[in-house]
Amino acid sequence: MSISIISSDGEPFKVERKVAERSVLIKNMLGDLGNDDDDDDESFEVPIPNVRGSVLQKILEWCEHHKDTAFPDDEDDDSRKSAPVEEWDREFLRVDQEMLYEIILGANYLNIRPLLDAGCKVVAEMIRGKTPEEIRRTFNIVNDFSPEEEAAIKRENEWAEDR
Amino acid sequence: MTELPKSNDLNATWNFVEPGLKRIIGGSEDNVGVTPQMYMNVYSAIYNYCVNKSRSPNNLSSNNASQSSLLVGAEIYERLKKYLSVYVKQLQRTPPESFLEFYVKRWTRYTVGAGYLNHVFDYMNRYWVQKERNDGRRDIFDVNTLALLTWRDYMFLPHAEYLVKEILAQIELQRDNQVIDTKFLSTAIKSFVLLGIDVQDLKKPNLHIYIDNFEKPFLESTRQFYAAESAEYLSSHNVVDYLRKAEQRINEEESRETLYLDEHSKKPLTDTLNDVLIVAHSQVMYDEFANLLEQNQIDHIAKMFALFNRVPSTLDPLAEIFQTYIDLKGITAIDNLKNDIQNEASKAEATGGKKPKQQVDPKLYVKALIQVYKKFQQIVSTAFQNHPIFVKALDSACRQYINNNSIAKPPGFRGTSKTSDLLAKYSDNLLKKNKDADATSDMSVDDIMVIFKFLNDKDAFETHYRRLLAKRLIHGTSSSTEAEETVIQRLQSENSMEYTSKITRMFQDVRSSHTLRATFKDEASKRADSKSIVADFEPFVLTETMWPFSFSKNNKFQLPADLVPTYSAFQDLYGQQHSGRILKWLWNLSRGDIKANLQKPGRAPFTLSCTLYQMAILLPYNDSDTYTLSELCKLTGLDAPVISNAIVPMVKYRLLQPSPGGMDALSQLDTKFTVVTEFKSKKLKVNLVQGVRSLESKQEVEDAEREINEDRRYYLKACIVRIMKARKHLSHAALLNEVVQQSHQRFSAKVADIKKCIDELVDTEYLQRNEDQSYDYLA
Repeated sequence: MSISIISSDGEPFKVERKVAERSVLIKNMLGDLGNDDDDDDESFEVPIPNVRGSVLQKILEWCEHHKDTAFPDDEDDDSRKSAPVEEWDREFLRVDQEMLYEIILGANYLNIRPLLDAGCKVVAEMIRGKTPEEIRRTFNIVNDFSPEEEAAIKRENEWAEDR
Repeated sequence: MTELPKSNDLNATWNFVEPGLKRIIGGSEDNVGVTPQMYMNVYSAIYNYCVNKSRSPNNLSSNNASQSSLLVGAEIYERLKKYLSVYVKQLQRTPPESFLEFYVKRWTRYTVGAGYLNHVFDYMNRYWVQKERNDGRRDIFDVNTLALLTWRDYMFLPHAEYLVKEILAQIELQRDNQVIDTKFLSTAIKSFVLLGIDVQDLKKPNLHIYIDNFEKPFLESTRQFYAAESAEYLSSHNVVDYLRKAEQRINEEESRETLYLDEHSKKPLTDTLNDVLIVAHSQVMYDEFANLLEQNQIDHIAKMFALFNRVPSTLDPLAEIFQTYIDLKGITAIDNLKNDIQNEASKAEATGGKKPKQQVDPKLYVKALIQVYKKFQQIVSTAFQNHPIFVKALDSACRQYINNNSIAKPPGFRGTSKTSDLLAKYSDNLLKKNKDADATSDMSVDDIMVIFKFLNDKDAFETHYRRLLAKRLIHGTSSSTEAEETVIQRLQSENSMEYTSKITRMFQDVRSSHTLRATFKDEASKRADSKSIVADFEPFVLTETMWPFSFSKNNKFQLPADLVPTYSAFQDLYGQQHSGRILKWLWNLSRGDIKANLQKPGRAPFTLSCTLYQMAILLPYNDSDTYTLSELCKLTGLDAPVISNAIVPMVKYRLLQPSPGGMDALSQLDTKFTVVTEFKSKKLKVNLVQGVRSLESKQEVEDAEREINEDRRYYLKACIVRIMKARKHLSHAALLNEVVQQSHQRFSAKVADIKKCIDELVDTEYLQRNEDQSYDYLA
């Protein structure tokens, strides 16, 4: 059975139900609205008002790839956090920062935990081992601290400095 | 696509989602389903509110104390909480529906809606609620739990009493055989389980609502209902009907249990039913039990047992009644048998004038014992399914009546129970060669074993059995060796190897005697005096201590001259084979055949089977036709009473003619006995042995009794010494205990006997008695 998913800009995506259900939001909704029998209801449309077409396409690509993957239990925080990012996911997330940001937001909105985790880990790796100045450059952040503020923060976090 | 509200505007957001919520929770009248569009809109509006509000500059600047406060949700949570409580409070019953019906219908719809709500508020659940609970807030819940708690506080608790009353009324209707809709009951009762929420740990199942609000009143009403019903029922029906009724009620309640009660109620409900239906009426049923036994109502007994078996502690009194009943039946059966024997005897006395001989037929006795056992054994297996308590009751009862009844221990009798003796006689009858096959056809080794198992005095049985076996062996009256050995083996496996050790030795003696017989025949033929030797001589060489025969040194018996060569030949042969061994001859047990030429001319001579003593009496008649009793005494070396007893059958068969006649004259020393010239008998072979008036039988009983007592003393002493050797020091009570335990397999030792043995051991300085009622072992 397949359903139609419609992006915020009105672009429809026809996907296998199993693929769509990688999103816990969609899965819950399908369950709640009682459309879990086998009738191949092509007209069942799910509007996604918060994700634009190009991002949704990317996310569904991920869902398609992982439609049969067994992810560790949501409750199992430790193994979720410690697991490294899978090679395919890393390659998949090798996109410009704007897209990466939107994928993370979309995964959070659609409640696709493994994708959200992978996205966050990739961002974390971009930060790891960098000085504040390098981080600002990487993410295009304007330094809006006054010199006094910056000194105060540095003092507060002295214990964490890696020397 | 609908325009979503501005993400930072709480009122706008709420106003946007509210129509959707109404539809989801079931508040709208139009009853239109929720569309995917609506579902996604509500979700997205909540998401946007939570996400974007968190980023608004307003929020950032308001405080910078804690980053966690950046998560937003409190205001929307409060709105939702309020909304739900208002919704639940306004729900109204629409007559004519009952409150139960109303409750169940609304609950069903509400819980479905709560599930939806939980999903459309998923974003809030995931971040804000999660965070609050992690921070220790125990008054914030995921939306589903919030919905249930709202229901609990505004719907369930205010109406609980009334609702449960309706439920109990429905159950009572069902108990009165009315058809009710159990679906309502089942749903309502399940809601009590779901409403039991532990606010500390939401995942922990908690039944306090179910137990406090429903289970307790339910059990109480169950108790009242059945207490009243069973009392009323018993006042107008008999116990057998009640058994059926109680069984049926219990089955009904059990199916109710699986139909709509929570698993938790299983045990308390069972306990309540057992208590009110079984324990409360146990006495009435106990009282009926003996009647059912009397009427042999196996099915009813089985039913009664099934009921009592639900409450194991109620079985003990039942088993006690059972045991007493069996014992009584056993004793009655033997009383009846005894009466029959007495009646027969007095009838015989009235008609025949002979003095009554109140002999107990061992077969009738054993069969009477077994019949009782079998009857109740049957009941134990069919009605009580071989439940250990009842097996034990049967065993105890059998042990009681088998060892202790009016025949085994007549009033005033103090010896060992006669059951051992009678069972030994029963075995003897079974194993003896028997002309009358019918008499033994219904006897069996199994019978012996049944009774044997229950014998207290197994040692006494062994002694009696061995005495009878000894006679069978040396007189060759066993029907088959195989049958003999079967019995021995079974006694061995039931008791011990040691138990039958003497018997086993007896068999060995008989076997080696058979070999010896052949050797003797061989050797005798080689001797110079071979012509005067009885070649068919059948010697039995018996180990003295193993056989129950006593050798009397005072026996002055003169072996007839005709037999002396045979005697000498055997003495020689045995002396060669085993130098140093002494043979003691048991003349009183020997037997032989003699040929008597007293027939009509032209006929075959008669063969007379007789004891050695009879032979010694008859042989002199080859020389003279008449002897007086005193002359016979001199010739044979036997005492007058022995001779007159041996002579009885000869007179009866008219072989010797006494003068003067009459039975009294037989023991007069000057009575003359003359041999007839022509003997008349239908048979060529005449058995003179059977008619010997036995002086021995009474003697034997005493011997046996003495032997048993002696053996017991030895056994007890050995036992005491063995125990003391191992323990060195023991208190009087402990020693008694151990001795009783160790001797239990053989016989039930009397405390007085044990004390006597201890005294003897103290006297002979095996033991030392201490001041404090204890003993030391002296090496």
